[in-house]
Amino acid sequence: MRMTKLLGSTILLAATTVAFGAAAQTRVAPIEIYTTTQSYDPIRYESAYIIADAWRDLGLEVEVRPMEFSTLLDRFYTEQDFDATVLGWSGRTDRLDPQFFLGTLDSRQADPGANNPGGYANADYDALFDAQSGEFNIEARRDIVHEMQDLYKGDAPMAVLFHRDEVVGYNHTTFTNLNAMAGEGLYSEWVPMEAQPLGERATLRIGGPQEPDNLNPLASTSVWGWKWMRMYYDRLVRLSPDVEPVPWAAASVDAVDEVTIDVTLREGMNFHDGKPVTAEDVAFTFNYYMGSDYSYFNAYLAPLASVEVTGDLSVRFNLTEPSAPFATITLSQIPILPKHLWEGIENPEELTPEQIPTVGSGPFVYERYDRGEYMSLRANDAHFYKENIGVDGVEFVIYADAEGVFTGLQTGQIDMTAWRMEPGQIPLAEGNENITVVSVPDFGYFHITYNTRREPFDDRAARRALTMAMDRERMVNVLLDGRGEVGGSVVAPVNAYWHNPFVERFEYDMAAARAELEAAGYSWDSDGRLQR
Amino acid sequence: MSRRNYLIKRVVQALFSLWIIATILFFLFRMGLPDPTAALITEGLNAEQRALIRAQFGLEDPLWKQYMLFLTNALQGEFGTSFSYRAPVAEIVWERLGNTMILMVAAITLAYAIGVPLGAWLSWRRGSLADTLGIFVGLMFRSAPMFWTGMIAILIFGVSFALFPTSGMRTLPYDATGFFDKILTLDFLWHAILPVLVVALYYLGSPLLIMRNTMLEVYGEDFIEMARAKGLPERDILYKHAARNALLPVVTQLAVTIGLAAGGQVVVEVVFSWPGLGREILNAVRTSDFPLAQASFLIMAAFVITLNLLVDFLYSTLDPRVSFR
Repeated sequence: MRMTKLLGSTILLAATTVAFGAAAQTRVAPIEIYTTTQSYDPIRYESAYIIADAWRDLGLEVEVRPMEFSTLLDRFYTEQDFDATVLGWSGRTDRLDPQFFLGTLDSRQADPGANNPGGYANADYDALFDAQSGEFNIEARRDIVHEMQDLYKGDAPMAVLFHRDEVVGYNHTTFTNLNAMAGEGLYSEWVPMEAQPLGERATLRIGGPQEPDNLNPLASTSVWGWKWMRMYYDRLVRLSPDVEPVPWAAASVDAVDEVTIDVTLREGMNFHDGKPVTAEDVAFTFNYYMGSDYSYFNAYLAPLASVEVTGDLSVRFNLTEPSAPFATITLSQIPILPKHLWEGIENPEELTPEQIPTVGSGPFVYERYDRGEYMSLRANDAHFYKENIGVDGVEFVIYADAEGVFTGLQTGQIDMTAWRMEPGQIPLAEGNENITVVSVPDFGYFHITYNTRREPFDDRAARRALTMAMDRERMVNVLLDGRGEVGGSVVAPVNAYWHNPFVERFEYDMAAARAELEAAGYSWDSDGRLQR
Repeated sequence: MSRRNYLIKRVVQALFSLWIIATILFFLFRMGLPDPTAALITEGLNAEQRALIRAQFGLEDPLWKQYMLFLTNALQGEFGTSFSYRAPVAEIVWERLGNTMILMVAAITLAYAIGVPLGAWLSWRRGSLADTLGIFVGLMFRSAPMFWTGMIAILIFGVSFALFPTSGMRTLPYDATGFFDKILTLDFLWHAILPVLVVALYYLGSPLLIMRNTMLEVYGEDFIEMARAKGLPERDILYKHAARNALLPVVTQLAVTIGLAAGGQVVVEVVFSWPGLGREILNAVRTSDFPLAQASFLIMAAFVITLNLLVDFLYSTLDPRVSFR
């Protein structure tokens, strides 16, 4: 009798709690995670499922929606119509400067089509972004960059899942001194300049599954086009293998004040057609790019107001605002084009392949490009860097897929791979006595970005909790075979100078995730569903 | 209906089909494929910059205007400029089509040259070990995925024995003044052997089995009995009387095969890095290169339609019982 009564009141008590909870709180809206299809990229696809499983454990209704890649990009960037999306940024040398990746969290880039689709908005962060951009003292700039990583990290607007290792290979019986570069792997602009032949053949053969879209410096919008063109066009500055800007075609780069930069050209440089490289060519190139419809370099050229010729070999760059990345990124990306060949061309983007003047002043000279098959360059004997170059030319064999590239490496048709090997090929390459396998950490990253305009990601606590409920260690071990690193901040650990190692880690911890949610007033209903 | 009227009617029908296909292709790609500049987002290009590129491609014009331009150009054999290569599409497609056709025609010829007489011979020896083995081999290569056969061929003959090259159609680099200059060389032959064999083995099954089975049917016919009664040698009965009558279905199959060959065998072109049209179509669709994709598919369609037309005419020649009605 007493027992029944006690039981009865307990049930009554429980019922009131549920009723009370239901009145005050509503279930958190279901979440869709967008990701790539399995065939496009199994890694991002599986990552989404690993995340979804843990989020379901937290009491959320989660669905994974794989999508065709370009549709996914469109949905994420252009339409910003998503809850959470798993995507990635590739590591390109010009992104080693923190400007680009930090910019992906700037609220002024949150418009449709821009680089901050999640819409993270933090006025302090934006102010710091401007401050670092205008800071010429590199140590002071680093302090700001570190502070920014710390600042955004606590708000968890997105999570860097992992940085993948680029695993590439080369034949060590034909060439030596091939040093992989972070983000670029072996196919960097330095490897052909540093490689030393071991046998009779001095022409370095590179093989890759991708080819340039085109080799028009005013139309190409692909990494593959620019990786090749960089070898026959000089830039004022080159990024060293350790990614420090070193004067290249420039003898010196001097900041007169915060918005004025004087550049003096190296003496005695010539284009491949024998005409000298002068300040006129440099000024022409920058003005030509600024006046063209070619938008690939627009971000780099944005801080530039005008370029003046101040002497035969000297030019002055006038900026609209102080810009630290100008000397590193802009000057290292814009090629020097010969004025005498380009000035008569009105619509350069319409040039057919045969019409493009492929004349540069770089360490290699353009020879040929047979679409879908082959490209080649020969060493420029008149170049100032000639004495350091061991190869007499560079060839690029275009294969249809990674399988073909690997067979080419195995059979000695090529000396190195331009692109990462497939996971299944790595052990085979390691077992081959002629092949050296190199693993370089990427500073690009895979991420899950939350739409901070939508429930539940509009709430900082929810974002933080969901970020803790993410077994990124498992992703690296299982999906990458251990060839990678769990993400810290948008500035990768391999980018040691700018990376802040002391940011909040968000280790995988379901209990901590629940605690975070509870502290913010979330609870779970009788079905175990999260409610707020 | 007279033969001439029939011919005109069929040609008009074919042109009409082509127009329908062109229209479907035009709208299908624009609706089904993502914006060609979508991939540039990861290169850091914003919406405004992408709009500039779309304008260069003519994609900012009204759809009907783009469509009219596409049709009028196509009529003149003009297919515009490839979005990614920035080169005339016609130039790319014809070159690639040539590369694909030489591979496919060689393989199909080989397959039929071996498959047809072999099929006839197997039917004659039906039930024997040779028959069982022949059917097995034909079916096996017909069912084995071609990328697999290709990769095994590369592994054995390209890597282990290093007898044949594993990729491309010539030793790189090469200079060729034209298509025939490119293919009339021993170097080309050496590069073509593996891919041609792989495709030929795949195609071998159809003529082999069709020929064998049709022959078995023909054997039951009265005129074979008659030939036997006349005391003709078995060999003559087989090849002169039975085989000629069994050819009809094989010819149909051949025409269909050649028609579809224009698209190439994408997997073989990929496995052997053969610079053919199939590989190019794959790239075009992947990068939403509308002009290139439209032209490639349209040419493939034209091929199939033309071949069908040819077969219809050929049929009446091979078998007068087929009328023009």
